[in-house]
Order: sequence, then structure tokens, then C-alpha cells
Amino acid sequence: MTPRTTRLDAEVRTALRAVGAAAKRGLGDAGLAELVQVRASQLNHCAYCLDMHLGIAREQGVDGRRLDLLAAWEEAGEVFDARERAALALTEAVTVLTEGFVPDAVYEEAARHFDAGELAHLIGLISAINGWNRLMVARRIPAGGTAW
Amino acid sequence: MTTHTTTDANTTPEPFAAEHAPRLEWAKHAPEVWKAMLRLEKAAGQGLEPKVRELVKIRASQLNHCAFCLDMHTKDALAAGESVERIVQLAAWEESRHFYTERELAAIELTEAVTVLTDGFVPDAVYERAAAHFDEPELAQLIAAITVINAWNRFGVSCRLTPGHYTPGQYA
Repeated sequence: MTPRTTRLDAEVRTALRAVGAAAKRGLGDAGLAELVQVRASQLNHCAYCLDMHLGIAREQGVDGRRLDLLAAWEEAGEVFDARERAALALTEAVTVLTEGFVPDAVYEEAARHFDAGELAHLIGLISAINGWNRLMVARRIPAGGTAW
Repeated sequence: MTTHTTTDANTTPEPFAAEHAPRLEWAKHAPEVWKAMLRLEKAAGQGLEPKVRELVKIRASQLNHCAFCLDMHTKDALAAGESVERIVQLAAWEESRHFYTERELAAIELTEAVTVLTDGFVPDAVYERAAAHFDEPELAQLIAAITVINAWNRFGVSCRLTPGHYTPGQYA
């Protein structure tokens, strides 16, 4: 499969990287950041992003079983703790906006586990990966390519 | 903008529902993210005509139900000379194609496909129509503009930012 186009404005690339990097720093939980980015990429069907973020998660030493079960995290019992589940529920709500808003219950559960600063950065990270998903899917960038 | 009432000749004006406060003032809590988003906003969509850019932003904000972003971009569009009719018809553009140019329609259609990724991919036909009306650098900027408004929509909806107070040029 060849990309439809590999063109991307250099400043757009740099600025979106800066959004993601600042968000990840402020969240301060590199393992959780990868879970969030993989889950959003699953929902948005972004092969390039899945390949990249699953690769990073494995390099970080995340248990393979957690990655295998991530798409079914709600039914995966103790594989994910309450904080991770709150972040994943927020990731899903913020990713699937077209079906309507971010429910109070989802937001409040996230706000119970993350302080305002962490939460603002978590929302930033979800928004940034949603951005990359769109740039890659729209241009049909294949999995495993070099940095496009 | 703050006193919302509706008047009828023979009845007392009935007040509108109360305004909600934002859930989270995210920019204050994540200033580096905010700065990077502003930089991204400035970079994305460069080279596209302002009218196309605003139509894209309004349509994505409609699909993502971002009230704050709709407030901002409908006002920006009007300030840029857009017509009320074209803004009103945008939510039903497939049935009101004669309000828009073929180039605008291709951009709107691509906006929908790239915004609703969770239903699956961006169809070849949609991409090819966009590519027929936008050259490669323009198309890259169109995709970037769609991506960036989708990101703003996520901040706006998640943090439940309050619509109704935007003035065109406020963040310029």
C-alpha cells in the first residue's frame, strides 16, 4: 500500500509534536500515555499510529496481555486499575465526539483520579493523538513507515 | 450576549436556561499545550481561502457538537463576509449543494470523512474528489485544518467551554 500523499507542512508537524510532547510531560505517566494513544488509534483505525504506539509500549516493557486486552478494557477486570479505566473511558468519550458530548459520569470519574493539571494534559494528549490519527488515516500512511 | 430572552407580542418574555460554567479552564492548567495549539492553529490551513477554512471549521464543529467552536467560527465566518444562508445550510449541504462551489463541496465532504474516523477510514472517492479540486500542498493544508479544528473541538467539548462570548479577532 502506498500513501495517498506524504506531504505535511513542516510547521504543522512540529507544532503537533509540541502539543503531544507538552501533554505527555504534564501527564507525567509514560505508560498510561501509551495506553491512551493506542486506544484512540484503535477507535480511529489508524494503522500507522497503532504500530508506532504498540511498539513504544512494548519497548517500555508493558505486559503484552494488557496490550492484547486493551480493546476490551471494560471487560478485562483487574488487568487495568481504576485510574487507567477512568483515563480509557475519557479517551473513548473524547475520541467519539460525533455520537455526542463527554458524559458527566465519565468526566467526573476522570477528575476523581487526576488533578486539574493532569486532566488538562490528559485531554491534550487525547486531542493530539486524535490529530495524528487524522493526518495518517487521511493520507493513508502505512504501518511501519519511517516518520512521515 | 448574557441576557437571553425571547419576546412574544402578548406574553411576558420567558428567560432562557441558565448558562453553564466550564468544567475545566484547560489552557490555564496546561499553558505549554495551549501555546503549542496556537502555533499549530497558525500553521494549519495557511494558503487556503478564509471562506473554505471557516466552512471546514463550522462543519467539523457541528459534527463534534462543539458549541464554543460553533460560536467562534460562525462569528468569524460572518466577519469574513460569509452569508447567513450558507452557514445555515451547511448542516444539510448534501441537499443544498447549489449554495457552494464544487471546490467547497469537496472540502466539506473531506471534512466529514476525516472527522468521523470511528465509522471507518476516508473513502477513496471522497479523497479523490478533494484531490481534483485542491493541489497537493493545498490538500495537505486542508487535511491539517480539519485535523486542528478536530483537536480544538475536543478541548471545547471535554472542558465544556461556554459559548456565546466570542468576539471576532479576540484570539488573533
